[in-house]
Amino acid sequence: MRIALRAPAYLGLGLVHAWRWSFGLLSRGSCKYHPTCSQYALDALRQRGLVRGSILAGWRLLRCNPWSRGGVDYAHDQRLFR
Amino acid sequence: MILAHILTPLENLLRNVLEWLGPHGTIGLPWAWSIVALTVIVRLILVPLTVRQIHSMQNLQRHAPQMKEIQKKYKTDKKRQQEELMKFYRENNINPASSCLPLLAQFPVFISLYLVLKHFPHLPGDNLEWLGLWNITDKASAGWGPVLVAVYALSQLASSYFMSATAEKSQRIMLLVLPIVFIPFIINFKVGLILYWMTTNLWTVGQGLVTRQLMPRPAAPEKRSSRTPPKEVATAAVASEPATAPAAKPSEPRRVKRKKRGARR
Repeated sequence: MRIALRAPAYLGLGLVHAWRWSFGLLSRGSCKYHPTCSQYALDALRQRGLVRGSILAGWRLLRCNPWSRGGVDYAHDQRLFR
Repeated sequence: MILAHILTPLENLLRNVLEWLGPHGTIGLPWAWSIVALTVIVRLILVPLTVRQIHSMQNLQRHAPQMKEIQKKYKTDKKRQQEELMKFYRENNINPASSCLPLLAQFPVFISLYLVLKHFPHLPGDNLEWLGLWNITDKASAGWGPVLVAVYALSQLASSYFMSATAEKSQRIMLLVLPIVFIPFIINFKVGLILYWMTTNLWTVGQGLVTRQLMPRPAAPEKRSSRTPPKEVATAAVASEPATAPAAKPSEPRRVKRKKRGARR
């Protein structure tokens, strides 16, 4: 049952891994946040499932723009869903 | 595939732009050149992002020695090292150069272009050649394709060189090896896609060269903070950082050259 509920998240996790092993390789270590956006996405998907995890990861990606400051930002410290 | 469905609007947009640029559209370029033009349009839209990125990269380079020290101090603990670096950025008001969004923004364009090329909107009898050597709907493994792949790999190397100016040595090596590792995959792509990727790389290289010319690295001045400083502060700034005095005392001939450099930014 638990695995069935978690299943959609695996789709997201797969997509993130696909990114990491393709274009992500070209941009290794070039995220201004810690952990990197892809690691954040993996954490968020594992902790919150596909829908909420994707929203969190999308929001993080939008924050990871040239105008933001970056910094330490863990998925479990998020304040969007409480 | 879900991803393909999400990208349908972008795919349609790209197809429309390509048709507008193409031989039956308003601009009337040959198909291959319309792909090049499309790439240039995409990169032009991204210019504000890149300019911002280059500014922060120069800012980073000025702080490089201190950052190296932090990296040395926490050599064994990568996680701690990263956290300390982030702290350093925050304390020194540095905006780290690289960010995920501009890179990721190009990814959907790339995939959509792949889909567009799969069902390319050409009519029978259209000219699909580029420079008389490559057919954009062919696989890159056919005919002269491998030559184009080699040129692509070189352009990727060159653009990595410019984009990784602040990266660690091991990362730089990785970035330089990757284009070669990618060749077996890339050779199965359509020539048109490689044309896109090659053009975007060459654009990056050109941008790198232009910014090096326009903004000499060691003298990159502090932005904003010193634009209209009070006089004493301005003179103090001149003493410590020569290039930060665009507004200070134009009567002194010695500073005229520096003033120019500052004004250009």
